[in-house]
Amino acid sequence: MACVPLGLLAYGEEIPRLTFAQLVDSIKAELELTQKIKSYNGKEVEIQGFIIPAGPPDLSFFLLSRVSAMGNYCCEVPVGQDETVYVFTAKGVKIFYDPLRVYKVRGVFEAGMHSDKAYGVSLFRVRQAHVEEAVGAKIFKVGESTTPAANQ
Amino acid sequence: MTVFTVALKYLQGRFVASALTAFSIALGVSLVIASFLLTRGIKDGFIEGTTDYSLVVGAKGSPTQLVLNVLFRMDVATPNILYITYAQLQDDARVEVAVPVALGDAYQGLRYVATTDAYFAAFPWRRKSFTLAVGRFFRDDAPEQPTYEAVLGAATARRTGLRVGDQFYEGEEMAEYPLTVVGILRPTQSADDRAIFLSLASFWGMNEIARKMEVKPLTAVLVRPKRMSDLPSLHREFNIVAETQAVFPSVVLLNIFNLLGLAEEVLTMILGIVAIVVLLYLFVSMYSATLERKREIATMRALGARRTTILSIVLLESCAITAIGGIVGLLGGHGVAYFGAYILAARGGLVTHPFLISALQPLVLGSVILLGTLAGLLPAVLAYRTEVAENLAPFS
Repeated sequence: MACVPLGLLAYGEEIPRLTFAQLVDSIKAELELTQKIKSYNGKEVEIQGFIIPAGPPDLSFFLLSRVSAMGNYCCEVPVGQDETVYVFTAKGVKIFYDPLRVYKVRGVFEAGMHSDKAYGVSLFRVRQAHVEEAVGAKIFKVGESTTPAANQ
Repeated sequence: MTVFTVALKYLQGRFVASALTAFSIALGVSLVIASFLLTRGIKDGFIEGTTDYSLVVGAKGSPTQLVLNVLFRMDVATPNILYITYAQLQDDARVEVAVPVALGDAYQGLRYVATTDAYFAAFPWRRKSFTLAVGRFFRDDAPEQPTYEAVLGAATARRTGLRVGDQFYEGEEMAEYPLTVVGILRPTQSADDRAIFLSLASFWGMNEIARKMEVKPLTAVLVRPKRMSDLPSLHREFNIVAETQAVFPSVVLLNIFNLLGLAEEVLTMILGIVAIVVLLYLFVSMYSATLERKREIATMRALGARRTTILSIVLLESCAITAIGGIVGLLGGHGVAYFGAYILAARGGLVTHPFLISALQPLVLGSVILLGTLAGLLPAVLAYRTEVAENLAPFS
């Protein structure tokens, strides 16, 4: 039971997982996005990444990034908006925050430029998000591929 | 005579024992309620008292010290950074607002916070707003012409008794540079309520070393980027250099919450043990009372009382003791939380909503009554099984 993904339990079908590599690949000239990534608009998706608590400490808003903000980026330089997802959480996020841990974020996906009064301009967003630790997760970079199922 | 009146008579008959049992339950419940209210209050205090700025840039050192000092006026100030760091941030195309802050001495323990009017500005993204209860904000004066004007936080004005127009200083060496109160802020439910705000020029003018410095010192710069996605690159740039560090305030607070969470877990374990001890005390009290009353119970049974009636009386008695103890404990717990919040506030800590009613109170009261009634179950069964003939037999 514990091995079954939460998405299967809650919705009866698997929630598609988007990777940062897919987000980067979806950007065309002038920050236009591919139809494929736009097709996820309004749908429930899962994205895994590092939490950068750019908003209040109740984590009602945070950035999800491919690169952790800690350790002075010893291994990789920080990423820009192409590999940053603005996450607006459902109420009551209860996690043991660790800047070097990968988290699994599930929520309603939005792709396209949008300006928010509180958090400014963003390209990718996840709203009504639920957060949990991603055990044994891997963050995919551009050029790498996920499992065939995850890429579909 | 109903089951209720019999149970009440029994309680009155053992008034001291019943009162002591209820009191021990009240103490246990008070402990649970006060602990949870204060832990939650401290956490809420940090959340509500934090800044709307996303990044704090200060001198190299402890990120926790920087955030606690600059945002919550706790701990000692971190070493200074130079004004050019602020100028650099202000000129950065990625930055929407940069606010310089310099922290130094204190007046009657209330910290001086030197800044610019941007600190109080209302931006569309700000949750926190600063409004004046009386007077005006200090002038953003030139470094060579300090006006020595001060704006007081609401708690500062209350504690010092200073009013608009009053002049004040602390220490003989400051007598030459008295500050004049020009305004008093409305409460903000943050550490700013306990601050004395003044301009950077006034701050540098009051400080002997800063007066002589060509490039003036600051403690930190609060930064709000135009795009949140630029934060990681800003964070990196000010971290990889030797002089400065950049800190996400929420990272420091989440680390504090992680520690609070661990303390909460230990506290929950201790409270669990306290609950078991209190329930055992209730059980022993009810059990010995039932043993003492075997003869009375047998008499009641001989007069026609049903076994279920006897069971109900003992359960009702147990339930009443726990309900009284639970309600007194709820009230006592809120009282302890109130005094705890008051003491913490006097020491510079911030606790908000110490009386917040949530699911906690009904949950604790319901659990106490349920567990208390269950603790009375075995004595009740013992009473239920009391044999009439056996217990009505003469003693000798």
